[in-house]
Amino acid sequence: MNLEKVIFGFFIILALTLNVGFVVGEISNPGHHSVWMLFTALLVSLVTTLLKIGDRSQIGAVFLSASLVANLQLIIATTVWAVGEGGMDQPPSQEQMVTIISLASGALVANIVSVLMLVTDTLMSRR
Amino acid sequence: MPATSELDRVTSVVLQYMRAPFLVLLATYALGITGMSLMPGLDGAPRMNLFHSFYFFTFTATTTGFGEVPGEFSEAQRLWASICIYTGVVAWLYAIGSFIRLVQHPELLTAVAERGFARRVNSISEPFVVICGFGDTGSLLARGLSDNDRTAAIIDSDTERIKALKLRDYRVKMFGLCADASVPKHLQDAGVTLDNCRALVALTRNDEINLKIAVMARALNPGLRIICRATSAEHRGYLESVGGVEVVDPYDVFSRQLCSAIFSPQLFHWMQHQIGAVDFNPERSVALPAGKWILCGYGRMGRALCEALGRLGIPTAVVNPERVATDPGLPVVVGRADASALRQAGIDEAVGVVAGTDCDEDNLGILLAARKIKPEVFLVVRQNHHENELAFSGVDANLIMQPSLVTARQILQMLTVPMLLDLRRYLRDEGRELVPRLVDTTKALLGDARIHLWTEKLDERASALAVLSAQGAPVTLGDIRRAPNARDQRLQVLALVLNRGQVKTMLPPEETELQAGDEILFCGTERGQRQLDANLQNEYTLHYLVHGEERARTLYSSWFRRLYPGC
Repeated sequence: MNLEKVIFGFFIILALTLNVGFVVGEISNPGHHSVWMLFTALLVSLVTTLLKIGDRSQIGAVFLSASLVANLQLIIATTVWAVGEGGMDQPPSQEQMVTIISLASGALVANIVSVLMLVTDTLMSRR
Repeated sequence: MPATSELDRVTSVVLQYMRAPFLVLLATYALGITGMSLMPGLDGAPRMNLFHSFYFFTFTATTTGFGEVPGEFSEAQRLWASICIYTGVVAWLYAIGSFIRLVQHPELLTAVAERGFARRVNSISEPFVVICGFGDTGSLLARGLSDNDRTAAIIDSDTERIKALKLRDYRVKMFGLCADASVPKHLQDAGVTLDNCRALVALTRNDEINLKIAVMARALNPGLRIICRATSAEHRGYLESVGGVEVVDPYDVFSRQLCSAIFSPQLFHWMQHQIGAVDFNPERSVALPAGKWILCGYGRMGRALCEALGRLGIPTAVVNPERVATDPGLPVVVGRADASALRQAGIDEAVGVVAGTDCDEDNLGILLAARKIKPEVFLVVRQNHHENELAFSGVDANLIMQPSLVTARQILQMLTVPMLLDLRRYLRDEGRELVPRLVDTTKALLGDARIHLWTEKLDERASALAVLSAQGAPVTLGDIRRAPNARDQRLQVLALVLNRGQVKTMLPPEETELQAGDEILFCGTERGQRQLDANLQNEYTLHYLVHGEERARTLYSSWFRRLYPGC
C-alpha cells in the first residue's frame, strides 16, 4: 500500500461523491439541496486540481482538464446562488435552483471522467 | 516551357478537327435565321423577328421539334422552314461526327492521360517511388511496396501492362502511365523532381533503356536515389561513373541468393523469415554435404552462378545446348540436358543439380529427368515466368527460385529496410558463427509469431528518451525492450542493426547506450512495435523501465515523497 496514492485517490473520489450528494433530489426544490454541500464539493474539487498539477504525460493533461471543468461549473453554480435574489440568506427561487443544479450536474460528469481515468490508469499500469 | 507546348499541341488538334464544323454550323445558322426573318407572314401578320427566328432554328436544327412561338406559317415560311430543317440537321450531324473523331484522336488521348498522370502524381503527399518498367519484377516490387504502404508512380511502354496495373487491388494507390520512360518529360510527369520522390527504379528488360532512364533522371534531379537494373559489366561500369546510381544485376543477385540458399541455409531461411517470405523451419536449413554440382544452362545467369560456386571452391560441370566459351578446366557437355547428358556430366557422383536455363519447360524437363536417375539429389530449379507458378508448385524440387522475385525482393529491401542488407552482408562475410545463436534467439523470442521489420528512428518522436538523457540517465537498448507491466520481461522485439552517423553496429548488445538520432532496425511483432513506441514516448514509463521505480508524476507527489520518504 502506498499512502501517497491513497491520498490522491481519496480526494478524487471524494470530489465525485460530494458532487453526487449535492445534485440528487428534485431539480427545482431548494429544500433538497444544501449550500454547504455545494461549498465542500467546490473546495474538494479545487484540492484535486492542485494534486493533479505537474504531470506531463498525455493522460495527465486530460486528467487536469477534467478537474478544471468541474471547478469552472461549480464556481459558476456558487456564484449564481450567491448573487441571486436574496443572496445566500434565503433559499433560491425555483428557476435559480434549476440553473444551479444543471451546472453542478455538468461538474458531476467531469468528476465521473476523472474517476474513470484514475481507475483505468491504475489498471493499465498493472505493476 | 513544356506545359505550354503540350497545351499548344492539344489546341492545334482541337482546331484542326473542329474549325470546319464550327464554320459550317455558323453559316447554316446565319443563313437560316436571316432567311426566316425575311419570309413574309400569313396575310397581314408581321414577319418573325430575329430572336424568334433563332429560337425556331434552334429547335428545328437540333431535331427537338417544339412548336410554341410561331403561329400558323405562310407558304413562303413553310418553304424556308423545310430548307432550315435539312441544312441544320446535316450541319449538326457533321459537327457531332467531327467531335467524336476528335475525342478518339490518339494524340489528344495521350496528352490528356499524361496531364492526368502528372496531376495525380503531383498531389501525392506522402513519400513515393518511381518505377520504370512494369514486367514481372516491376509488378512484384509494386506489390511489395503496397504491402509496406508505399505508393508508386509507374511508367511502362506497354499499354496492356498499364491496363493490368489498373485492375490490381493494391492497399495504396498506384499511378500508371503508358509512355517511354527514357523521355525526360515523362520522368518529370512521374515526379522525379518532386521533394517527396524517394527513389527511381529502372527495371525495363533493356539495359540500354535503363541506362538512358538513369542518366536522364540524374540530370533532372541530382539528389535523387536511383536504382538501376543492369546485366552487363559495361553498363554497370558506365552507371557507376554517372554517380550515385545503385546497380542491381538480377543474375548476380540470383546466383548469390542461390549460393546462400545452398551453402548457408540457416542464414538464408532466417532472412527469408525476416522478410516474411516463408515460415521459419529449422529442419529445412540443413547444410548439404560438399560435392560436385551440375549446372544446366550456361547463359548469363549460369556464368554468374558458376563464378559464385567457383569462389566457394565447389567443383562444377556444365550442360549447355550450344558450345560456349568457358574457363578451361570446366567440364562441359554440349547438348540438350536429357538423361544421357546428365549421366555424361556425372550425375552419379553429384550432390546437386541446378536447372537454370531461361526456358521454363526445359527446366521442368531437366528436373524430372534428374529425379528419375538419382532420387536423392538436391534439385534447384529456376522459374523464369511468374505465370508458371502452378506448374512449378506441383513438382518435387528442393528449391524453386524466381529471378524476378529475388530481384524484386532485393530492391524492396534496398528501399524499405536497407539496414537488413548490411546485416546480411555482415553475417555472410564476417559474422558466420553468429548465425546459429541469432536463429536460436529469434526462435526463443518470437517463436511462430507473424513478424515484420521496421526502422526506429530516435528523433523528436521518442520524447521520453530525450527527457531521460537530459537528466543524465543512460538509457540502454535493453531498457527500452523491457515490458512496462513486468520489468524483467522483454517485449517481442529484437534489435538487428544500429546506425549512429556513419557507424553501423550489427546485432547491438543489450547494454548499448542509446543516443538521439540513432536508427535501429528491429524485427518483431506488431504488438511489440506498439509497446516499444509507447515506451519511447512516455517518460514516466521509460523512467520506471530504466530505474525500476515510479517517478513522481505530480508536484504533490514529489512534495509528499520529500516530506515522508518511504511512505
